[in-house]
Amino acid sequence: MGLTVKQRGQNVATFRFIEVRLMEILSAWVPSTPEMEAKLLFGAHIWDTAQAADALGKRTHELRLRLQHSLTPAAGYLEVLDSLSAVDGAAQRIAAFYDVIVPALAARYRSYLAATDGLMDAPTVRIIERILETGARMMREANELREELPALKLGNSDWLSQFAQGERSVPELVVEIEAAAA
Amino acid sequence: MAATTISVRGVELRADPAREACFKVVHLYTELWRTVDMSAESQREKLHREYNTEVQGMEIAAQSLAEFPDAPWELRMEIARQCWDESRHARLYAQRLKEKGGFKGEFPIANHEWNTTCVFETLVARLAIQNRTFESGSMDSMRKAIKVWNDAGDQCTAEITDAILADEVQHVRYANQWLNRLARGDPKVVLQIATTMARLKQMSAALRPQPGDMSINGVDLVAAPHASVRANVDDRQHAEFSGAEIATVVERQQAEETNQFVATRLEQVR
Repeated sequence: MGLTVKQRGQNVATFRFIEVRLMEILSAWVPSTPEMEAKLLFGAHIWDTAQAADALGKRTHELRLRLQHSLTPAAGYLEVLDSLSAVDGAAQRIAAFYDVIVPALAARYRSYLAATDGLMDAPTVRIIERILETGARMMREANELREELPALKLGNSDWLSQFAQGERSVPELVVEIEAAAA
Repeated sequence: MAATTISVRGVELRADPAREACFKVVHLYTELWRTVDMSAESQREKLHREYNTEVQGMEIAAQSLAEFPDAPWELRMEIARQCWDESRHARLYAQRLKEKGGFKGEFPIANHEWNTTCVFETLVARLAIQNRTFESGSMDSMRKAIKVWNDAGDQCTAEITDAILADEVQHVRYANQWLNRLARGDPKVVLQIATTMARLKQMSAALRPQPGDMSINGVDLVAAPHASVRANVDDRQHAEFSGAEIATVVERQQAEETNQFVATRLEQVR
């Protein structure tokens, strides 16, 4: 048996919170990043994250929550998002976003797909499959840009490893899923 | 936290967005190139300027997403889409600039749209200025630019300009729709727009060139004839301006053309 309707709603609303926050972080980076090509990368992906949030927000309404409902994720993950927001420098921002956050979030989306029932929750599955495709394109575009402009490559960085470790240290995104599902 | 501001000719403006060191960022028209022909250098300057203008459009929209998290979600979606559009536009102009032998930082740039729009602290004011005023003005000038590029034998840039113009119509339209919707819900919005436009007029008057001001390429910024730009009535209709609003713009532009004609004739007589 997969997740309950309530658990699905909580997961979807939490994913929506994260996509909105990623949209806002990219938005704040656009005017504050000097490198034009990095700005344009972030600017394009604002729309991708907005569409992900919008699709998830429509799904929350189908899962007995308000339309475009968001749930705040676990405190540890909020700290990760705050750390991401505070990253400075184009190469650092690109690395943190496209080498850590996007692939790690993709892994969390895939965990959800593994846990839910593919038939009962098919609408969510379709939405997440599209988000995963978009995420893969975003990472590809970031890599292409760094190939074109090697100055935007970060290289080896302890800081990035620590940041990735911080993300991995948060086992569960959804707050009190057991209590809420009871 | 209050935004960082700068003062130019006594006008308070939002401090510039981040730019690479290769760019010389200025604030006065006397520090900019003024294009008066379609020489190869002027063509590059036009593309370089449009490139930075599109980047500013993206930055203004992105800043609104960052600064107004409580705006209605449907409006935020429109703004997010605009970020993507402006990003694509900037890439198109950058690519065309490169194809013509130009490069980033070849000419000084000014971030007037950002400086002016983002000093206002409400989303209503920013939509009224950036989308409803600056971008609708661009709809007029871009319609003319398509002809100018075609006349210069550059169909490629003309086509790019037309594609960008079609996108800009939607940016103006959603601002018109949302400002009307917000005004219906709160009559104070109308007063807010009127106050914003009055302040914008004062800012523009203070920043515009003064008699004797010259551009960096030696053009007299006041005496040089200004190319007349006709109102792009079709696209203004697509952008859902009312008939009365379009008529006002047409009348104002006709009056400007008349004044320009009289001034030119007087100069010839003298």
